[in-house]
Amino acid sequence: MIQLDAVSKTFPGTTTASVDAVSLDIPEGATVALIGPSGCGKTTTLRMINRLIEPTSGRIRVAGQDVSSGDPILLRRTIGYVIQNVGLFPHMTVAQNIATVPRLLGWTQKKIDARTDEMLHLVGLDPAIMRARRPSALSGGQRQRVGVARALAADPPVMLMDEPFGAIDPIARTRLQDEFKAILRRVKKTVVMVTHDMEEALRMADRIAIMRDGKLLQYDTPATLLASPADPFVDAFLGPDRAFRRLALMTVDDLMTPATGTPGPALQPGTTLREALSALITARADTARIVAPGGTVMGELTRAAILAA
Amino acid sequence: MILLDAVRWIGTHPTEFLAALQQHLLMSAISLAIGLLIALPLAVLILPSRVGAGLTVGLVNAIRTIPSLAILAAALPILGIGIVPSIVALVVLAVPPILINSLIGLREVDADLIDAASGMGMRRAQILWRVRLPLAAPAIFAGIRTAAVQIISGATLASFIGGGGLGDFITAGIALMDYSRLLVGAVPIALLAIGVELGMASLERRLFVAKSA
Repeated sequence: MIQLDAVSKTFPGTTTASVDAVSLDIPEGATVALIGPSGCGKTTTLRMINRLIEPTSGRIRVAGQDVSSGDPILLRRTIGYVIQNVGLFPHMTVAQNIATVPRLLGWTQKKIDARTDEMLHLVGLDPAIMRARRPSALSGGQRQRVGVARALAADPPVMLMDEPFGAIDPIARTRLQDEFKAILRRVKKTVVMVTHDMEEALRMADRIAIMRDGKLLQYDTPATLLASPADPFVDAFLGPDRAFRRLALMTVDDLMTPATGTPGPALQPGTTLREALSALITARADTARIVAPGGTVMGELTRAAILAA
Repeated sequence: MILLDAVRWIGTHPTEFLAALQQHLLMSAISLAIGLLIALPLAVLILPSRVGAGLTVGLVNAIRTIPSLAILAAALPILGIGIVPSIVALVVLAVPPILINSLIGLREVDADLIDAASGMGMRRAQILWRVRLPLAAPAIFAGIRTAAVQIISGATLASFIGGGGLGDFITAGIALMDYSRLLVGAVPIALLAIGVELGMASLERRLFVAKSA
């Protein structure tokens, strides 16, 4: 869906490249997280996709089309854009904010109204209550929901999100991340998000691109990334508990073997391996039984299998 | 006593008084409108250039320090006497507050909003009309309010160059040593200035404060 081909950006007045020959292939429907320490070029990379920044060299294609070939304004109307501080227009109502791009595209008011309500429902807000509110009357989480509704309003195939949860408090953040992931799955968008939070990247992304000093160090699925970091920097960036993080990505269903009747703690299908290992350690057992909510024993899982995963 | 004489004079010379009042208001309104038509587009024009904006603000602040009477005097040899040079002088008075307030208002719009707007595919003009101007409106309005009050008071001096208005009664009062006549001009001017200030302040509250809550 999105292809970056040796894309570089050197800002005027600087000698080192902020983004240095980055190539990325982002498949349709995938959520990709660009992650790295500040100044690594992740935001610049994101902003080159909708041409808020023009690359110095290289080529970017969205849906097969070279983005540099057309009018950047028209390009941006086909790409959803969400930023950290949301950027809701304070002088407009929630409904008017959501209608921004449809209005630019010249939709009829009737179509806009219907779409606005649909979008509010999608992000879990009640249109009857929210439509006429002003952004100042919303909580941080509600604002971010409206921000996503606004980005999705014209049904763009691609969404760009720059630290979308940066301004949300940690408790609400996790819930919002899970919810947004579900929403983005449902509407089948190709998403590129920038984050500096590995937890967030692992939670939301199908693939993670780790950047440092403008270079792409590794671009892999979370599981591959955690299992085999490409270099010491990536390893350090993943943190000392990357093994646990990896186990958190897999469930008991992946490693389940037929039941042999060995006693042990009972786990439900869908339990992560991280929780399973924790349960085994707590119970000082070598084997856990996988028991469906109805009580049927589905299989078992050994500690050795987890350690070998 | 003097005040009573002034009121009595207005009672016996209603046409003269109303003509002067009308002239005063007309002159002020035209000057304010022209000032706005110059200052606002100028603010938009110099907005993208940091250097241009800095130079303009510096120049305008320099003009601001020149006394109104000096501006009137300077307009006299170039434009002669009458209402036209008076309006020119009043426009010079009106431009600085509107220009500076507009420029600050337009510039202080949150950078995130501009980023969101351009990221969603708004053109420059659309960002200006749909985002910058509505958000700068309170600041622009405050500039217009300052300018309006300054013009109302400043228009008094138009009398010195034959521009007419309520200032005529003050100059006549001084010339004739007739304090009641002086008050025929001075009191309405003061009331007008205060009225415009209060009226526009309340309008400002109604337009912008209620809305943003």
